[in-house]
Amino acid sequence: MASLTNKRTDGGTLTVGTQTSQLLEMLAPWAFRAPLIFMVLFFAIPMAMTVVFSVFERTMFWMEPGFTLFAYENFFFSARLVNFLNSMKYSLISVAICFVFGFPIAVFVRKSIPQVAQHRVVLLFILPFMVSEIIRVFALRPVLQRNGLVNTTLMDLGLIDEPITALIYSHTGVVIGEVLSFLPFIVFSGFLAMEAVPKFIFEVCDDLGVGPWRRFLDVILPLAAPGIFAGSVFIFVNGLGVALLPNILGGAGAVNAGLIATQAITALDFPLAMAVSAIMMTTLMALLWIGHRLFDLTKILTPLS
Amino acid sequence: MNDYDNIWLHKLKWSYLLLVVLTLMTPVIYVMYISFNANGFGANEYAFTMEWYGLIFSDALLIGALRWTLMLALVVTVIAVPMALLAAKYYKAADNKLFPVFLLLAPLFVPPDILGSALLVFFKNLNFAFIWLGDQVGISLFDSWFRLSFLTATIGLIIYTIPYSFVVILITMGRYRPEQTEAARACGANGWRAFWDIEFPQIQAGVFSACAFTIILVFNEYTRTSLLKGGFDTFTTVLISQMLNTGMSGQSYAMSALVSFIAIAIIGSIIILTMLRTESLSRIARAKADPVTS
Repeated sequence: MASLTNKRTDGGTLTVGTQTSQLLEMLAPWAFRAPLIFMVLFFAIPMAMTVVFSVFERTMFWMEPGFTLFAYENFFFSARLVNFLNSMKYSLISVAICFVFGFPIAVFVRKSIPQVAQHRVVLLFILPFMVSEIIRVFALRPVLQRNGLVNTTLMDLGLIDEPITALIYSHTGVVIGEVLSFLPFIVFSGFLAMEAVPKFIFEVCDDLGVGPWRRFLDVILPLAAPGIFAGSVFIFVNGLGVALLPNILGGAGAVNAGLIATQAITALDFPLAMAVSAIMMTTLMALLWIGHRLFDLTKILTPLS
Repeated sequence: MNDYDNIWLHKLKWSYLLLVVLTLMTPVIYVMYISFNANGFGANEYAFTMEWYGLIFSDALLIGALRWTLMLALVVTVIAVPMALLAAKYYKAADNKLFPVFLLLAPLFVPPDILGSALLVFFKNLNFAFIWLGDQVGISLFDSWFRLSFLTATIGLIIYTIPYSFVVILITMGRYRPEQTEAARACGANGWRAFWDIEFPQIQAGVFSACAFTIILVFNEYTRTSLLKGGFDTFTTVLISQMLNTGMSGQSYAMSALVSFIAIAIIGSIIILTMLRTESLSRIARAKADPVTS
């Protein structure tokens, strides 16, 4: 292109113009790579470095290069491991509850709502997500407390005689918080996943006399598996990693990996925080890898490209 | 079975969907309700008042924090959205899509506290490394680059918001037909002109939604900001410290309600605007497609 313009015109100013455009042509591909380079520098490398920093030696206020597995010992041979495994259990419960309540919505939107309106209906679930998480989580306190909205309503209705205290400052509270925070994500990922289930499948099932239960187990579930898996991993990992939930809603023993990491930072035990981060990243990578081997997670993005 | 055979079942499913949305919103709505009560939470009497809202604007600390938060939101948006746009263009043209998509969507899966702590330690080490390098070379130019500050908070928040912008822009790009760019290039437009005059007008709805999302996400973010910011306070950090130190006061309820109102109004108006726009576009398309019968 540049040589063509050169042949047609031979004015001095235009040569300068071509030089600039040549420079631009050269720089343009790098401009498109810039976001990826940024992400490698400030996301991939810091996340990988957690492994390196986790074996550094702890000093009074900071850490110094060295090799010690003290931080891991500190994690695996203490109550932290029990808490971590416990938070895994409750996180799994949250995933299951979110799936049971959220996935039917994705199926319903795909199956029964006209194509043009589908996106708008899903957008409804973005609405709660647009309110700050700290407000949503803090707001659960007045809702779930002894004299909160749920208890007073139930008592006014005469369903219970005395307030239920297990709703908050317990594992139940954390699970309620996780479900209310993360339910929209199973709707979004389920919605994307249902792209792989064409609408005629429902008619075929009807024609063949397949009941809704078998249709779900044998047809929808295998086809939508990648999206469901991605949504579940998201909820599971965030259930382990969002410190705010057990911090605000949890009681004794409700400690997850995120809380261990932030508490370690407050205590200036940086290697421990990095060890927890490294363990979380390993868990996440392992889960994504297993999911990718089982279902080929790139399938979720087919509607996008 | 057709959905419309049993209209009541269909309506039941719809009401379930709306009930779930309502349940998710209940805490927020309840906070808004409490914020108008002169007696605060748990009082026997409900007396309507706007007093708590008046108190917000007389709080100098809070106004200062709001200014910082807005600036952070603006700076992050100005950087992150164009980056997401470039990344989406790169993704569309890339042969190997797995690597960029993994890199750009992975931050979604990393919990806030983990990302925050990893970046915190990384920046602190980087800062020490830069100071050490400066000492070796004998210049102090690099000393404060990666000290925890506005810059580090900005970087952390870009990483947090870029996946959302990327996905939103990618979805709107899906509706754009690349043949139009080819046509423009064939007519002699350079790459930038073809993008700016042909493609951008068609994807601008996505870009603007991405901007709105980013502003709201940054405004609402607590964990990453509080770990990576230097000395300044943002709206959420002030709110949290107020909540933890003095409990939920009427003022904190009012602040929570106010930002919730604003965020819902922004997103609500975007949804309504896009609905109106698609409506009018489809009406124009229908009018054009209508055969002339006279």
